[in-house]
Amino acid sequence: MSATTVPANLYAAVQKRRNRGLTGLYLVVAAFLVVYAILFPGLLSVGGFSKFTQNWFPLALVTMAQALMMLNGGISLAIGPMVSLGAVIAAVTMGGPLGVLGGLIAVSVAGLFIGAVTGGIVAYLRLPAIIVTLAGSFIITGIALILLPRPGGYIPDWFSDLLAGHTPVAFGLLVLLLIGWKLYLATPLGLGIYAAGNNPVGAFRSGVPVERVKVFAFALSGLLAALAGLFVAAQTGSGDPVIGTPFTLNSIAGAVLGGVAFLGGKGTMRGVICGSLLLSVMINVMFFLGFPPVAQYVAQGLIIVGAVAIPQLTSQWRAKP
Amino acid sequence: MHLSGSENSRRRRGLLMGVAAASMLVAGSGAASAAANCIQGDREAPYTIGWANIYSVPTWMKQTEGTIAAEVEELKKAGLVDDLMITDAQGNAQTQIQHIQSMIDANVDAIVVIAGSSNALDRVISDACDKGIAVVNFDSLVNTDKVTAKINTDSGEWGAAAAQWMVDQLGGEGKIIVMNGPAGISVSDDRRKGAQPVLDANPGIEILTETNTEYNVAPAQEAMTSLLFANPEIDGVLSLGGALSAGSVLAFDRQGREQVPTTGENARQFLELWKEKGLEGWATMQPNWLGALSVYAAVQALEGKDVPAFIKVPLPVIGDDTIDGYLARADQFPADGYIYSDYDRALFDKLLAQ
Repeated sequence: MSATTVPANLYAAVQKRRNRGLTGLYLVVAAFLVVYAILFPGLLSVGGFSKFTQNWFPLALVTMAQALMMLNGGISLAIGPMVSLGAVIAAVTMGGPLGVLGGLIAVSVAGLFIGAVTGGIVAYLRLPAIIVTLAGSFIITGIALILLPRPGGYIPDWFSDLLAGHTPVAFGLLVLLLIGWKLYLATPLGLGIYAAGNNPVGAFRSGVPVERVKVFAFALSGLLAALAGLFVAAQTGSGDPVIGTPFTLNSIAGAVLGGVAFLGGKGTMRGVICGSLLLSVMINVMFFLGFPPVAQYVAQGLIIVGAVAIPQLTSQWRAKP
Repeated sequence: MHLSGSENSRRRRGLLMGVAAASMLVAGSGAASAAANCIQGDREAPYTIGWANIYSVPTWMKQTEGTIAAEVEELKKAGLVDDLMITDAQGNAQTQIQHIQSMIDANVDAIVVIAGSSNALDRVISDACDKGIAVVNFDSLVNTDKVTAKINTDSGEWGAAAAQWMVDQLGGEGKIIVMNGPAGISVSDDRRKGAQPVLDANPGIEILTETNTEYNVAPAQEAMTSLLFANPEIDGVLSLGGALSAGSVLAFDRQGREQVPTTGENARQFLELWKEKGLEGWATMQPNWLGALSVYAAVQALEGKDVPAFIKVPLPVIGDDTIDGYLARADQFPADGYIYSDYDRALFDKLLAQ
């Protein structure tokens, strides 16, 4: 950064604008966490914190994956199948000659490759992401079922214990990911995501390689979803070819809760993380409050609508003279 | 409304029981010595029970939850249980893991579970077992043996018993149609596989054709209707699921064909048609009271009793001689529900003593 104060002010202004509308969500999430900690004080112990963050971690990853797509102005229906495929590849390879490292590479390559191919089709053939990922979801589900027709496979115990044992490794990884995201945003391709998502023509005229930005964003999205699958496999100690299915809708819910706009170019990863955290902590809080299952369905819907509506209402109220 | 509820429940159960059958091979080892598995002897009555359901919407699940709640009420009166926590993972195995983790965090004394995935729950269930929580798993089973008990019926026996009844009914000679659930669903495959040895041993039984449909009345009726046009002579319908049989009976009825011996499950609709049309029938069931039995087994284990690691529940059979007893209780069950056999403590004690 140069010595002048203008860029710093600009940065602060941009950040302030991005945080606007998220204050409500932050408060809701904080309130839920406080209630949860009161109901279950064990949350504040290392073991309790680790287990809670482990259950949240894969959802946080897929929500980030979905947010990457939505920032591009698209939506992915292949997130869940990608999680399943990641879990299956991990469970099939890690017990074999490739070992854990080989499995990790195989999962990452599969995620990046499928994401990049999807991104290429969307960017260069100008097809809507929702259609391409819908088709992709069938293909990916099929591949996962071919690789592992029934739940099974094997993940070494030490790897499961490392990622999903009694230490907060998953949370540490999430922090690293967020730092990584910040760094990515400092690169031309990262910066381009917002520009291309918000105003593709304007971005193109300003010299942003719009297509390449898309392909990279899609590839990263695929990588995140596949890694979420890897984590799920480690957490469960095995692979299941359909375990990811519910993640598709949950990732959209989390991203929308986190303030990511459907039309692209608007949203922040910190919001997205909070959105997924709310979805996850809500389940535990309702459990400890002893909500019967039927009430949980209703409460879940109300919380989501509330978390989205409150910022809208407050901004309208602020806008009034 | 009626049909879709029924369809959902059948499909769900198909999946669940498929998983169950797959894991059954793994189960059964590791009989408990003095105390049952997982029990450390440091928990005292009254106990808190957690019921971790994978999906609560289908009728079969609602009825099963009913038997669990009723059993808990009984145990409350005896001062053995003070609370029942119920969760519904809405079909999401990942959420079910989270729920079971929360039950461990809440330090419940027992967890009763129908698994949403045969192996996804293995680690969290092992954790619960390590904490001395009595874990009883029924209907759809997990892979791990670190549970107090697994409880289920046998899908292979189901198919074999249905086929045997059909052979006996036809005197070993006749043309039959076999109605299966969806292809590729384990429970459907396992029941069909169970029937095969019996059919092989009786070459006089000719299979005209087989159907694969959802476990639902409408598609079964449609499939049977077209088969009735193609086959003027049908001596029996070997149907391996309750709603399928109801569809078959309705198809025969609409075509004005005479009813033939039909097998099925304890779906209320089938049992009522069976009596109404006066056909020769046979049915068995996946009893809803497996839920109540699981709660009872968990409490027995916590009380220091020996509980077998695998409890195989014999299939209750409904025949022409016993159907009246079932239909007399029909009004206590939902219209799209399952009329399960009567159960009591004596039956549970007998099953636990095996």
